[in-house]
Amino acid sequence: MSEAAIPLRRAPAAARRRPRHVALAGLALSAPAIALMALFLIGPVGAVIGMSLTDYQLGARSWSFIGLDNYSALAGDAVFWKSLGNTLLYAAIVVPASFALGLGVALLIEAGRSFRAFYRAVFFVPVMATLIAMAISWEFMLHAQFGLINLTLISLGFAPQAWLANPDLALPTLAVIGIWQAFGFNMVLFLAGLVSIPRPLYDAAAMDGADGAFERFRLVTWPMLGPVSMFVLVISAIRSFQVFDTVHVLTKGGPSKATEVLLYSMYAEGFEFFRSGVAAAIATVFLVIVLALTLLKARAADRRVHYS
Amino acid sequence: MLKHTLLSAAMALAAVPALSAETEIVIQYPYGELFNDTHAQIAAAFSKVHPEIKVTFRAPYESYEEGTQKVLREAITGQMPDITFQGLNRIRIFVDRGIAQPLDSFIDADPTMEADGFHAAMYDIGTMNGQVYALPFAISLPIMYVNLDLVKQAGGNPDDLPETWDEVIALAKQIRAAGSDLNGLTYAWDITGNWLWQAPVFARGGTMLTPDETQVAFDGPEGVEAMRTLARLVSEAGMPNLNQADMRAAFAAGKTGLHFTSTSDLAKITGMIGGKFALKTVKFPGVVEGAGRLPAGGNLGIILTEDEEKRKAAWTVLKFWHGPEAAAIMARTTGYIPPNKKANDEYLKDFYVENPNNYTAVSQLALLTKWYAFPGENGLKITDVIKDHMNSIVTGARTGEPDAVLADMAADVQALLPAKTN
Repeated sequence: MSEAAIPLRRAPAAARRRPRHVALAGLALSAPAIALMALFLIGPVGAVIGMSLTDYQLGARSWSFIGLDNYSALAGDAVFWKSLGNTLLYAAIVVPASFALGLGVALLIEAGRSFRAFYRAVFFVPVMATLIAMAISWEFMLHAQFGLINLTLISLGFAPQAWLANPDLALPTLAVIGIWQAFGFNMVLFLAGLVSIPRPLYDAAAMDGADGAFERFRLVTWPMLGPVSMFVLVISAIRSFQVFDTVHVLTKGGPSKATEVLLYSMYAEGFEFFRSGVAAAIATVFLVIVLALTLLKARAADRRVHYS
Repeated sequence: MLKHTLLSAAMALAAVPALSAETEIVIQYPYGELFNDTHAQIAAAFSKVHPEIKVTFRAPYESYEEGTQKVLREAITGQMPDITFQGLNRIRIFVDRGIAQPLDSFIDADPTMEADGFHAAMYDIGTMNGQVYALPFAISLPIMYVNLDLVKQAGGNPDDLPETWDEVIALAKQIRAAGSDLNGLTYAWDITGNWLWQAPVFARGGTMLTPDETQVAFDGPEGVEAMRTLARLVSEAGMPNLNQADMRAAFAAGKTGLHFTSTSDLAKITGMIGGKFALKTVKFPGVVEGAGRLPAGGNLGIILTEDEEKRKAAWTVLKFWHGPEAAAIMARTTGYIPPNKKANDEYLKDFYVENPNNYTAVSQLALLTKWYAFPGENGLKITDVIKDHMNSIVTGARTGEPDAVLADMAADVQALLPAKTN
């Protein structure tokens, strides 16, 4: 309202009317990057969106445009909604847990004096390890009858569980593996954030009477970690939306779709049922979700969490 | 000038193999751990008879699913092998997409087919739309594996093993009561392609769809019985909720009395048991006299090459691979049975006397029918829908309402069937 009344600051004339050859030179310089982006990013995405509008099947010799039929079929497909729900549930478990664990471990390592490098390395190992290989190790540990976890439970007097065959336990079990795999990465990000907090802020807080550990955390550490936290949150969310390896190795989406997630549905439709058009439609939905998360991050990063 | 000379020299070199008398036929097959030895031995035998054709193998497919996927992808880029071995229920996909090459002209032109042990039921398995597109190579049938020691321990009679599902369930209860850590039975319900859903329905004389393939037919009385029986395996016989590998491990460890799965597991299971207990294989229970059938599992050979000359060579290879000598090699190196009549009647006579557990499936050969593949673009999706409904019985979620599960399953499958086209 009032802002509208204030005359806009005049932009420098040079910026408004660049000579033509400068604009062309700029275009020429960015052309390789644009071409590569078109070839490797925009092109494939366009192809996927295009394919989602067809009834193409893997290996078929012909196909036809069917408009939005694939999307309306998805909207009426109980498996798709189950898959979307499972993905959201998985993210809802993994994101907060790996966030809290990552932050907690980072604070502990930072507060301790000895073995810092050792702890950092130990907690980072799951991030570096190949998830497929790790999933197979987990499979042995979770074996219903001879698995380490069930044998431990039995020796402690508890009932053994069918971790991956019980529909109620399968997704939470995968989520625990997801947390185990993800929190080390978050820890490293938080460690970097912690190191960059200026010491004088703590001294100032202490001078003002906030010398308890929790007070220091609430008044200095937590606000100063704002940008890192936002980044961790969004990256964790995107990564947990991408869960596929553990599902493929351990459960194949079962039992009875209890662990069906978006990327696995896409794989199953495209490469098991050969309904490539439907798979492309799921890919498009997935793309929209990740894009929305990224935009959210960009917005939030601009507005809320700037302290520098 | 020099460049030009080099180039033509290179071209001449490249052209040499094509000019030589030897034709190369590329084969790809699934499940290397089961079939590597088999195909290597057959290839060795083949090279003695047909030195003019060179057979080479590509790295085996890990599974039937992967095999189908790979060929469909290669069909787009034109890199298919000349002959591929695929799951028996996959032939429909290749015929629908025009990838499999028909074999009728070769079969009709060859007067020695019958003498070499080929027969009508063999052609029938690879027939789609009235033409033969594939020959069955390795056949498996569902059978019952019995731990005779546990049967005796539970007070059962090892000479009078169950033939009906009621008897199976009664015996399983007895075995279960004999020890707290014992399973009465396990049923490998999740074998790919709804194999052990089709088996009990076909065994009772039912079908998956109506003959014109437009309406679900498995919700008839045969299907109702099959679904109720599956539920009773869980509710009455106390079947644990295990995956196939765990079932096999538990049975081989001597913890399960009766195990229902494919004959193809015979070699693996016999090896795992290692003489710890007496194993006997028995015919699949509840097959109705006359109308009852069992779906053939296993894989079949398909010619993919479109090149006229190569197709001729590929047929020579394919016929040898399914002929009596190769079929006998296949039977001896795996737990599968060969469909070839001459192989079973002549080459393998002694083998079956020495290995009666391998003969159980051969005795069921007359019951052989197609491992059914659902029509239309949702064919494989339907398989998945059926699997999920069966799973809801096995996990205990809906064990109490098999009729309702079957009704839901029929409705879901019906919705995925193609609308009738004329």
